[in-house]
Amino acid sequence: MTSPTASRPSTPSQRAKHVATALAVLVVAAATLTVDVQIERLPDLPGALMRIFGRMFLEPSPEWSYLPEAFGSMLESIQIAWLGTVIGAILSLPLGFFGAKNITSRLVSNIIRQLLNVIRAIPEILVAVVVFIPMVGLGAYPGMLAIGVHSIGTLGKLSAEVIEGIDPGPVEAARAAGGRPLQIQRWGVLPQVLPEIVAFWLYRFEINIRASAILGAVGAGGVGEALVQSLVFRRYDRAGMVVIVVIVVTILIDTASGWLRRRIIQGGGGASPTDLEQPELVEVDAAAIQRP
Amino acid sequence: MNAATAPRTARPRRPPRSVIGPLALLVFAAITWWAASEDFGLNFDVPRLFTNLTRGAGILAEFWPPDFSVLPRTVDPLLETIQMAIIASAIGCAVALPVAFLASRVTSPNLVAYIVDRSVLSVVRSLPDVLYALIFVAALSIGPLPGILALILFNISVVAKLLSETVDGVDQGPIEAARATGANRLLTVRWAVLPQVLPNYVAYSLYAFELNIRASAVLGIVGAGGIGNLINETRRFFQYDKLMVVVIEILILVIIVEWISIWLRRKLV
Repeated sequence: MTSPTASRPSTPSQRAKHVATALAVLVVAAATLTVDVQIERLPDLPGALMRIFGRMFLEPSPEWSYLPEAFGSMLESIQIAWLGTVIGAILSLPLGFFGAKNITSRLVSNIIRQLLNVIRAIPEILVAVVVFIPMVGLGAYPGMLAIGVHSIGTLGKLSAEVIEGIDPGPVEAARAAGGRPLQIQRWGVLPQVLPEIVAFWLYRFEINIRASAILGAVGAGGVGEALVQSLVFRRYDRAGMVVIVVIVVTILIDTASGWLRRRIIQGGGGASPTDLEQPELVEVDAAAIQRP
Repeated sequence: MNAATAPRTARPRRPPRSVIGPLALLVFAAITWWAASEDFGLNFDVPRLFTNLTRGAGILAEFWPPDFSVLPRTVDPLLETIQMAIIASAIGCAVALPVAFLASRVTSPNLVAYIVDRSVLSVVRSLPDVLYALIFVAALSIGPLPGILALILFNISVVAKLLSETVDGVDQGPIEAARATGANRLLTVRWAVLPQVLPNYVAYSLYAFELNIRASAVLGIVGAGGIGNLINETRRFFQYDKLMVVVIEILILVIIVEWISIWLRRKLV
């Protein structure tokens, strides 16, 4: 108001942004120019995709008599995912406590966290192929164990983070009341973190259903195996049926589990219509991405 | 302040016990029994599992020491894995941007587009990437192309989902300001919404790239290009010492990319 001659503020420097953009474009261009995708096959791409989707869903229509078998293999995938999640949940809970700075020392928690990070970095399909299929052979067992091991990594990390965020009040109260170390954890910490951790377990179960569907592709049982068999024998009508079953069952379970998770986190009081929306289906939530 | 003068107050009544806890435990036990039972499930048997595991432990010894003579052969497939992840991230994240705006109530032009877009997204999201890769390999034969396509679909679903939720939560002020200047819907999105969500969008894209590196490493197991091909080759011939080298390389790649991505995201915020 007092200085009408004040100049317009200069535009903030955009250089960093431009450099970053240029770098990204350069990287993408380099990858595109060097990759061996046989460019001459690209024009055929839409046709080939239409052909296979046509054979899977339209002409002939999906084979409905295959529905019981497809559904049965999907149930097997769900069982693999469930038991794998149970294994992961049971083993990750103590690791979560040991990985929390406010429960153990900084040194111990760092060691545990690094261990969990390494476990997390190995995809479950790799754990299955490299460790459990050679050890126990093909079938549902290696899939279940691989999912269990991988789940320890993510669930342990998330549990530790939740435990680090607790209110210290109840812990002090439990200590003041003469609680022994284990009793302090049981009555001062666990009730505070259990709802959120159980929600993570459910969420992990949703992810693990996808993982166990994948594991069938390497011979670890379940619906992936049904899809591979159908495709190998060029029974695209059966493959279409399998795909439909996977999509429908997955969406149903996601919806149910997502509703349950919201109920657990928010407590009773009924869910509003918006709570029934599709849950988040990525490994971590958006907030966690923002503060890595 | 001694105990005698303090008025005796009754102990507060215990809140009524909830039935939800025991009920949930019961449901949990029932599902676990169903999944583990001999007749309906996987016939899960802990003692037998342990005998299997101890018997199989000897095989793990064959993984060590790793046979690094395979190293030169891993260079090209490893590069292909990285190329696949980069291309798929670029295309997938670019497509995800308009898809995300259609999937948010704040920016979607009408209810029909919103519902259709969200339904398609949830269908796409319910199939995992390797199953897409299986179908695309059947359609296009083996090579990196089916892998890239599978990753693109995966990226669209992940980034569009995350970004649409961010768009739902943007500050309404700039939108009102843009409308007040007479901007149409597209201009409003460009100047009032996009600047608000751009950092998130870049963060999600980096995150998707990170997931892609992990995924493209294993897509080759079903014939979709990249280092996964070598996993299949070596394990088929029981060359576990060579397989170990591939595994180590994938681990190093995944961890390095994660570091870079986290570092970049931290600079961004």
